[in-house]
Amino acid sequence: MKRKDTVKLISTDEMEFVIDKDAAMVSQTIRNMLTSPGPIDNWVFLGGFAETELGEVTFPEISAVILEKICQYFYWALQYSRGKETEFHIEPELTLELMMAANYLHT
Amino acid sequence: MEKESELIRRCIEAACQSKESVEKWRKQRRTLERLPSHLSQSLLRNLLRRRLLFPSLLEVFKYSMEEIDLRGENSVDAEWMAYLGAFRHLRSLNLGDCHRINNSAIWSIVGMTSLKEVDLSRCMKVTDAGVKHLVSISTLEKLWISETGVTANGVALLASLKNLSVLDLGGLPVTDSALNSLQALTKLRKISNQGALVLQRFPKLSFLNLAWTNVTRFPNLSALECLNMSNCTIDSILEGNGDKAPLLKLVCTGATFMNEAEAFLYIKTSSLSLLDVSKSSLSRFGILADMKMLEHLDLSSVTMGDDSVEMILCIGANLKNLNLSSTRVSSDGIGILVGHVPKLENLSLSHTAIDDVALSYIGLMPSLKVVDLSSTNIKGFILQPGTESHMDSTLTALQNLSYLESLNLEHTQVRDPDLHPLSSCKKLSHLSLKCASLTDATLHLLSSLPKLTTLHVRDAVLTTNGLDAFIPPTTLRVLDLMGCWLLTEDAISQFLKKHPQVEIRHEIVQNLSTEHQTISDRLSTSQQSLKGPQWNKKQGNLPMPEFLLYNREELLALQFSPLSLQSPHDAGSVTPNLADEEDLQLYLLEFSDGKLKTGLASHSHLSIIPIVTLGVAPSV
Repeated sequence: MKRKDTVKLISTDEMEFVIDKDAAMVSQTIRNMLTSPGPIDNWVFLGGFAETELGEVTFPEISAVILEKICQYFYWALQYSRGKETEFHIEPELTLELMMAANYLHT
Repeated sequence: MEKESELIRRCIEAACQSKESVEKWRKQRRTLERLPSHLSQSLLRNLLRRRLLFPSLLEVFKYSMEEIDLRGENSVDAEWMAYLGAFRHLRSLNLGDCHRINNSAIWSIVGMTSLKEVDLSRCMKVTDAGVKHLVSISTLEKLWISETGVTANGVALLASLKNLSVLDLGGLPVTDSALNSLQALTKLRKISNQGALVLQRFPKLSFLNLAWTNVTRFPNLSALECLNMSNCTIDSILEGNGDKAPLLKLVCTGATFMNEAEAFLYIKTSSLSLLDVSKSSLSRFGILADMKMLEHLDLSSVTMGDDSVEMILCIGANLKNLNLSSTRVSSDGIGILVGHVPKLENLSLSHTAIDDVALSYIGLMPSLKVVDLSSTNIKGFILQPGTESHMDSTLTALQNLSYLESLNLEHTQVRDPDLHPLSSCKKLSHLSLKCASLTDATLHLLSSLPKLTTLHVRDAVLTTNGLDAFIPPTTLRVLDLMGCWLLTEDAISQFLKKHPQVEIRHEIVQNLSTEHQTISDRLSTSQQSLKGPQWNKKQGNLPMPEFLLYNREELLALQFSPLSLQSPHDAGSVTPNLADEEDLQLYLLEFSDGKLKTGLASHSHLSIIPIVTLGVAPSV
């Protein structure tokens, strides 16, 4: 059985972000969920609901603005790890929420 | 502590970018309330480091902060404390060396309900009245009040802190009766101070600090593991019947030994893992022979020469840290150690007479991680006998040290070309250089070190162009350019703009931060082209450090009109040593009146300061 190569991340205000699985794996938390054999436990642990087959995760603590920034970061980190050294700009007003989300996602 | 993730680190950096960025998030009250404690701590630490923290900003942390470490922050005063008193979850508060903390400042933390640890070490203004405030915090478990103004009466008051398990009273004039009153504290496991005989009543004591006391001998304490008798006159230690104490750590800094052999007679020296006898009167080293478990040995400032190094040989097998700074050990002594210290990681030889020969021996100590060679005769090369022009670089020996992380070459005579071998020390993360003959070339050479995080290049002849062209390794976090006085404010702010992750230490940066000026402020002004008078004016507003303050005007005059250097000092003789280059003009100034030298205390051995002036060469 081959899983889809994308995952859907859903913010608390029900905004949906579909991103490559590779990018999402930048987050240690999401990586653990996607690679662990017994999926259900981890999903429940996260507090988010999901059916593994669908590849959806809901983040009840993360707003759309922050989740969008997180997704941007995933892609940026992926490129950075492949040697493309660009700046990742973070607006000062987002820093607090973003660092809490990063803390939660182990990014 | 858990290592921060990359994104968190970037967020914190962005949050602490400038005064403006702080304003952008400080109103987000509800988010701040939810901030996990470890993130608050990182954020606060970075604000402190960037000098962006001020008392009223502390309020944003009042719900999230559990531990706060303000050690050595001179600005911390009663106003800070008033805010800290409202930190309802605060568990640990470290105010060590905060010299403005006094009794009334401590009043702010009266009655805090979560506080368990308070460190007031060396807050000299804290006295018995301050202790009265402290005893209201019944949750206190650990308290450090060494070298404060507390007296025996204050110590006796501590008896009401029933939860106290660690108490540091180092350097306080405590009496036996005050110590007796502390016996009510049944949980106390650690205590430090004098009143030697009464100590027998604490049979489970495992940690004892008797620094700066008049104790010369004291009885056997069979559970004692750590003993600090710094600055005492020592007759005998742990004399008495029964088992020898399983002492692990013994610190006797600055102690006077009446008779070495007798002093150590009652100690089970074979179990010792740490021995610090720095600055002590120890002169015979036979006692070392049994200390087979020794990992840390500090012999700095002890009268010992190469012949005593033999004693270290027999105990070298486990040695990890060895401090021989300010001893009479020479390169030959280091040669003796080779092959006998397989685990040695940390070696300090600063202020010794070693020269470049020692480097070849150091290169044969495979586990070395930290090497301090500051203030030695190291030049970085050896002249081949007979061939005066051929120089063998000696720092190449350090390339064999595959674990080398930290190297200190301050106050040595190394020059730019001698440093080349260092570029292949791939693990090097800390490098300290301080030498007036180093130039931009050094900076560029070091940009190839992949793991460099802290770089000190002090008192060097670095130019604005040199800094501009410097591409720091991505890992670099601290760049210390103190005393590189040719660098301008603009050069530094340009650099900070390009590399915001790097913290620059320089006199100019310090001035700016004391004025709470932000980087972005500086950037906007620095967009304008640099003009002499304007620069003058700007400088005039800034409180300059002593060394620039004293001769700022003369130096500015020198910088912008080289001819005016004819008489900056009446007593100083000025020798313009005019080289032939058109663009780069090197002057050597000699100040013989001594005034300048006081400002340049850090280079006390220097009486010649090279000045580089960019511009048109003046006619003589």
